[in-house]
Amino acid sequence: MSVNAVRLEGITKAYKGHVAVHDLTFEIPRGDLFGLLGPNGAGKTTTLRMITNILGPDSGRIEVLDLVPGQASRDRIGYMPEERGLYPRMVLEEQLIFLAEIKGTPRAEARRRLPPWLERMGLAEWGKRKVNELSKGMQQKAQFIATILHDPEVLILDEPMTGLDPIGANLMRDVLLDMKRQGKTIILSSHHMETVERLCDSIALIHQGRKLLDGPVGEAKKRYGRNAIALGFEGDGSFVANLPGVKRVSDEGHFMEIQMEKGADPQAILREVALRLRVNRFEILEPSLRDIFVSLVGGTDAEVAA
Amino acid sequence: MSRIWPVVRREYVERVRSKAFLIVTLLAPVLMGAFVILPGVLMEKQRGRALRIAVVDETGVLKEGVERALANQKADGRERFEIRKAEGGTAATELSALREEVLEGRLDGYVRIPEDALKTSQAEYHGKNVSNFLDLSLVQKIIGEALLTHRLVGEGIELSKVRALTSAADLKTLRVSTEGEKEDRGGSFMLAFLMAGMLYTTVVIWGQALMNGVIEEKTNRAVEVMVASIPTSTLFMGKLLGVGAVGLTQFFVWSSCLVLAGVFGGPALAALGLLPEVPATDVVALLVFFVLGYFLYAAFYAAIGASVNTQQEAQSLIFPVLMPLILAFVLAPSVLSNPEGSVSTVLSFIPPLTPILMFARIVAQRPPSWQIGLAIVLLVLTIAVVNWCAARIYRVGILMYGKRPTLPEILRWIRAA
Repeated sequence: MSVNAVRLEGITKAYKGHVAVHDLTFEIPRGDLFGLLGPNGAGKTTTLRMITNILGPDSGRIEVLDLVPGQASRDRIGYMPEERGLYPRMVLEEQLIFLAEIKGTPRAEARRRLPPWLERMGLAEWGKRKVNELSKGMQQKAQFIATILHDPEVLILDEPMTGLDPIGANLMRDVLLDMKRQGKTIILSSHHMETVERLCDSIALIHQGRKLLDGPVGEAKKRYGRNAIALGFEGDGSFVANLPGVKRVSDEGHFMEIQMEKGADPQAILREVALRLRVNRFEILEPSLRDIFVSLVGGTDAEVAA
Repeated sequence: MSRIWPVVRREYVERVRSKAFLIVTLLAPVLMGAFVILPGVLMEKQRGRALRIAVVDETGVLKEGVERALANQKADGRERFEIRKAEGGTAATELSALREEVLEGRLDGYVRIPEDALKTSQAEYHGKNVSNFLDLSLVQKIIGEALLTHRLVGEGIELSKVRALTSAADLKTLRVSTEGEKEDRGGSFMLAFLMAGMLYTTVVIWGQALMNGVIEEKTNRAVEVMVASIPTSTLFMGKLLGVGAVGLTQFFVWSSCLVLAGVFGGPALAALGLLPEVPATDVVALLVFFVLGYFLYAAFYAAIGASVNTQQEAQSLIFPVLMPLILAFVLAPSVLSNPEGSVSTVLSFIPPLTPILMFARIVAQRPPSWQIGLAIVLLVLTIAVVNWCAARIYRVGILMYGKRPTLPEILRWIRAA
């Protein structure tokens, strides 16, 4: 069993007239909460559809749980598409049981698992209602239950937070973290950077079908970080400029911003500083994912937020 | 393949439970029954009570013969006319007395044979209800015979000979089949045409239902979750089978009604010539050709549904596909009346026409078994090819949104998929 839940290697997919995904390679470690980021039309949905085996790539290799995509891998994936789709005239309970059934869960088993989930998602009283009687937010929660009722090992959620109110979004986040604790691998696509930054362990950022960046969130930030430290202190901080790894400082008396050399370890600087100064504040100034996103994609903020 | 059953079951259960299905399935036989049976039953009922009738004969020579002939008319062992003696008196007072009785409802009507009837052949019937033509045509026939007899006797022919000479021809039509000869009064042509119509309608209805389901699934995006769970070919077959099973259920309900009508209402209906007996083989053929016709045309419908975004877009694509089915239905009457002709035979082997035309031939006059077998084999092969292509179109189309594809594009999907 490899450490990766999903592995993409040189994936290319073209539609008539344009290349949706170009030579895409990245890995998603087992048990990670993984964010697939990119502006609209970057190829996120196409990539997810290839992982779920809805589409096949034109070239390249995909492995999901060490399997070539097929029925076996499909059964172990739970997929929530961006465009939510439930049968509007079907009774909610029957619909959810049906969707678990086509994932290979026996009917009786699905029926047994359903009530706790309805309870948790606040839909307990809606089980006997038709889907088109539910509000948009409730439908989204229902769609989430449909995604996990067959107890998949890998969850693929395309924009899971959009359409939820803040309470719903919190509930979704708690449930996702819970599932991560149970060892599930969760892949979510989003262009909502703040959510991804706080939630995800690792990311891949794609733009126009190409990968710009991937890896653990911390590493990604470091790689694209300004390598700066904000230091609030009391005492004489003039020695800091001469510490190993420090490139430049701008000293303002009780506050300084330290520019580090590439690859310098901020922890070593902290140790040195803490020996000689009273440290009130020590913060590694990381760029937000949003900053990285904007600088890499080169788009405007408006485009990113869209 | 086990994943197909949840899909089949969902299609089946959701549709069979719908109010529209219940209404159509249960109401259609009731309405059909009402249309076919009720008039007959009403007439029968009317005929059940003898018509109270009086005869006023101003010629003075026909009365006895007419009254006797009327009194002798029987239906199902019961007399059809109850002869009331007129009061007598002058013709004028007699007629006004009878009119009173009719108005008061003690008499249904009276026949007046005027003095010059022997020359003019004119007679009158007076009654409150003058639309019970079955009875009245009988009265007319009896008066006509009485007049004829009187004239012939006047010409010197013996009364006994008159009977023999004037007996009218009565053509019985007998249907020859291996089960022996059965009397048939033209109902079987109607029934065969009715069944061909049923075949055509149900194939179109359930094909359309399947297509709308596919379009709906595509527009509300439920299909994306589906194809993330099972192969598109499984989804395609599941939907095809599920909807087909619904159609078959409807057929079972309807043919059960037909059989029940045959068992319980059969003798009465057959006596009226309204419903010839439906041979079991015809019912089996109906089911078989519904299934085959459905699988052929519904596959087209599903492929079209997957290719388009709205039902409006679908309409222009459906028509060419439906042409052969319409053609077959239009040709059905001529095949029914000449089932063994070479044209009928050839047409019934053309797979898109087979479901209706081979069925028509079977019902009209059973063709040799090898012909039926061959036609079915050709049809099944065609179904296999059509379904294979349709599944590929479905697979590509179901995830395509936006502009409606052109025909060349759709053909490319078949090759590319």
